[in-house]
Amino acid sequence: MEPKQKSEKFVVPIGPQHPALKEPGHFEFTVDGEIVTNATARLGFVHRGMEKGVEDRNWTQGLYLMERVCGICSHVHAMAYALGVEKLANVQAPPRAQAIRELVAELERIHSHLLWLGVAAHEGGFDTLFMFSWRDRETVMDLLETITGNRVNYSANVLGGVKIDISDAQKDALLKGMDFLEERTEHYMKVVTEDETFLGRTRKIGVMTFDEATLLGAIGPTGRASGVQRDVRVDSPYAGYPDFPVNIITSDAGDLEARFIVRIKELYESYRLVREIVDHLPEGDLTVKVPRRIPEGEVISRVEAPRGELLYFMKSNGSDKPERIKVRTPSLCNWGSVLTTAIGHKLADMPMILAGIDPCFSCNDRMVMINGKQSETQVWDWENLRQYGIEYYK
Amino acid sequence: MDTQELLQQALEIVKEWTIEVTQPEENRRDIYIDARNIKPAVKALLIEGRWGYLSAITGLDSPEYQIDEETKERKVDPEKGKLEVLYHFCNKAAIASLRIRLPYVGAEVESICDMLPSASFYEREAMELIGITFKNTPITDHLILPDNWPAGVYPLRKTFKGFEKKAQG
Repeated sequence: MEPKQKSEKFVVPIGPQHPALKEPGHFEFTVDGEIVTNATARLGFVHRGMEKGVEDRNWTQGLYLMERVCGICSHVHAMAYALGVEKLANVQAPPRAQAIRELVAELERIHSHLLWLGVAAHEGGFDTLFMFSWRDRETVMDLLETITGNRVNYSANVLGGVKIDISDAQKDALLKGMDFLEERTEHYMKVVTEDETFLGRTRKIGVMTFDEATLLGAIGPTGRASGVQRDVRVDSPYAGYPDFPVNIITSDAGDLEARFIVRIKELYESYRLVREIVDHLPEGDLTVKVPRRIPEGEVISRVEAPRGELLYFMKSNGSDKPERIKVRTPSLCNWGSVLTTAIGHKLADMPMILAGIDPCFSCNDRMVMINGKQSETQVWDWENLRQYGIEYYK
Repeated sequence: MDTQELLQQALEIVKEWTIEVTQPEENRRDIYIDARNIKPAVKALLIEGRWGYLSAITGLDSPEYQIDEETKERKVDPEKGKLEVLYHFCNKAAIASLRIRLPYVGAEVESICDMLPSASFYEREAMELIGITFKNTPITDHLILPDNWPAGVYPLRKTFKGFEKKAQG
């Protein structure tokens, strides 16, 4: 791909597939001295053609395929798909199933936010925090394994409900786990708001104003850190959220620090929800019957993934196979919004700005640095850029 | 403002370009407009009206099928059918989709990237997977498909059934 210097915008896209961190991708940043003036990206290295593939599978097989769009937030993909199919078929999963869906979704959010905290700390050169948060993340991974049998791709959903139930022993384990994590999270909150070196990398850096965030469509914690009141769990409650509502967390600062604070506060909110669901789990069935052939129609199924709104556009032609499933993952929205506003920031801040949106990013395999004035092209990899950032702030 | 009021407000804003409105779900309206009106409609709804945000652009292949007399196989009728582009705008629980129909030949619509740079990804995706041309879109490089992907082959069209040659190894 030819480097582009004439266009003024910084664009880094993610495709319908949802590549996780440390996966392949290709960015091009154009810089003038230290300041980024343009960037572009090339993805598709892990494109698996799932939107096409799902058209050749029946509705049930599609569930298992779509769960594998993303390894970090697999449950929300399966949930969005299952909720969409249920809407098309005009059935509703029982309340107990809906509550368990929410429970797993919140546990997944805890694991995802802790994973992100570690990665973001690592990109900032703060590896101790990375090690601690990933160690603590094991608690929630173990809990997920205990209740679903899997550490990733939990496969909790079926069309019309869930396939797992929560036993009393599991409830106890969940409550204990939440207590431990809550105590640890207190510590993280202290680190990200008080540690001088850390604040040097986050405070007033990568600021996205409320206006930019609203217009460009920033979603999830990235948007909420700029004061945007958008959370599908609140705006359009699904699954168990009407019965176990969530409080929206926002901040007005719009900088990287705010994105840390919003996510950490969301962790508290998730702990509270997990406790509440465990204490008040509705009794009843786990599934309802969903027909094999799904009636004709088009639905949009939206859920709040850890990174923001996940949108499924689903079209049925009345047969046992979907006509079209369109997936718009939250990272795609946030790349567009954050990176449009990233121009003018320092190159050394890019790792943190990019990590700050919690990109499920495939990326950073290779980076081409083009010096606007001398038109020399240097090829860096992500590690060079990360080191550059750390050295710059030493 | 509740969902129905929000939807009413959206309908009001794009009224002058509206051809037809459908209600696929309680919280949704599909607003059919002509392809040439996409820019003024997006401008009125999002840039000036600040109605929600552009959540996604969906490219849709809606062919018409014919049944083969001998084999009883369902085949795409190459003469009929259309492509569709849906611009989904979300505002709280309300979703308003601007929907345009395009012919297979000359499926072209103006890019909205000059007003909304973040739409570039959505346009690139629809461009290479469904084969919709977005006039004046800033980046036209491949986003997802390999560099050696043949020109004019769009994988999400219903006529695409994979390549003849199997992968080696």
